[in-house]
Amino acid sequence: MLSSAKHKINYSAFSIPSSTSSSLSHSLSQTKNMTQVTMEEVWKEINLASLHQHRRLNIDHEPVLSNQNPNNSIFQDFLNKPLNQEPPPSSSSTHHGSLLAPPATVISFNPHSIDTHFDESAMFGCFGKKRGQDSDESRGDKRHKRMTKNRESAARSRARKQERAYINELELEIVHLKKENARLKRQEEQMQLKMAEATQHQTKKILQRSWTSPF
Amino acid sequence: MSLSPRDPLVLARVVGDVVDPFMRLISLTVNYGQRQVTNGLDLRTSQVLNKPTVEIGGDDLRNLYTLVRLSPDVPSPSNPHLREYLHWLVTDIPATTGTAFGNELVHYENPCPNSGIHRVALMLSRQLRRQTVYAPEWRQRFNTRAFAENNNLGLPVAAVFFNCQRDNGCGGRRT
Repeated sequence: MLSSAKHKINYSAFSIPSSTSSSLSHSLSQTKNMTQVTMEEVWKEINLASLHQHRRLNIDHEPVLSNQNPNNSIFQDFLNKPLNQEPPPSSSSTHHGSLLAPPATVISFNPHSIDTHFDESAMFGCFGKKRGQDSDESRGDKRHKRMTKNRESAARSRARKQERAYINELELEIVHLKKENARLKRQEEQMQLKMAEATQHQTKKILQRSWTSPF
Repeated sequence: MSLSPRDPLVLARVVGDVVDPFMRLISLTVNYGQRQVTNGLDLRTSQVLNKPTVEIGGDDLRNLYTLVRLSPDVPSPSNPHLREYLHWLVTDIPATTGTAFGNELVHYENPCPNSGIHRVALMLSRQLRRQTVYAPEWRQRFNTRAFAENNNLGLPVAAVFFNCQRDNGCGGRRT
């Protein structure tokens, strides 16, 4: 991870020295104008470099910083991760809270807010500035939870709607097929009757000429 | 016949959350009173209080089947951490008969929900022999796939599901 991040930086227009976090933060202010992708990698690198004890949290927010996912799924994945886990020990619970709040700004790709975060990154294991206010965190937290739950239940009810539509289609098709089946059966009966008549007719007339050529 | 991707079982993620894709091999008819359960039918708690009448198809009375009724959305669809909950387990059902002829290992329970709209699935699997299926120790955290593997049931041969919600629910719609 570290090497790939460095690799990306080396491709930038600026010549950026490697590894130390101070030089990185300096280079980061320069790379403010670079693509967001590069900045995300660098941001990731800072976190990885400065903290090993918060490795678990890093794993938590790696999906946020991945380049391939669109905004929505990153957000959801990111939020779902802490929600599905068992309640972590209290020391990291505040980290979790602060994890949830700052991504709202990062994901909107606001370079300025990220910049301020970078300055303090060396001190914290966390992603972003540690907001001391618990109520802020929990309010944002609750709102995000509510949003994802709402989104999921909307998706479920859309799925239910589709199921109903499909069954309706099948029922209509059944009715249609039954009608056609009945029609075809009637046709077949009539044909058979005609065939029967025709054969009877023929046996009667066996000694007679069936065609007379016109004179 | 294999399941089309628009089959309600697939759309509702019953195939996926509960079982792996399977092929419908025999018929399964479930009736709660007069009402036949079609996939995705909306039922209320009061309508499913008692056991349904279940009839299965097939043609050889010697083939025995196991029927499982479970719900994967416990305690609520948005937070199913107790997935799945086993409502009913009947084994040794001979083909062409119904659950009345089988062995009820886990008696019928209808813990329909307080919140949300839960999927309730009934699944039929073929047994290798008589009395080879063992009931699990508890109802919640039931795992259909593990259960099938432990009892040599393989993939199901038929399944149907419906949506269950409480009696004075609003059908998932806000007015």
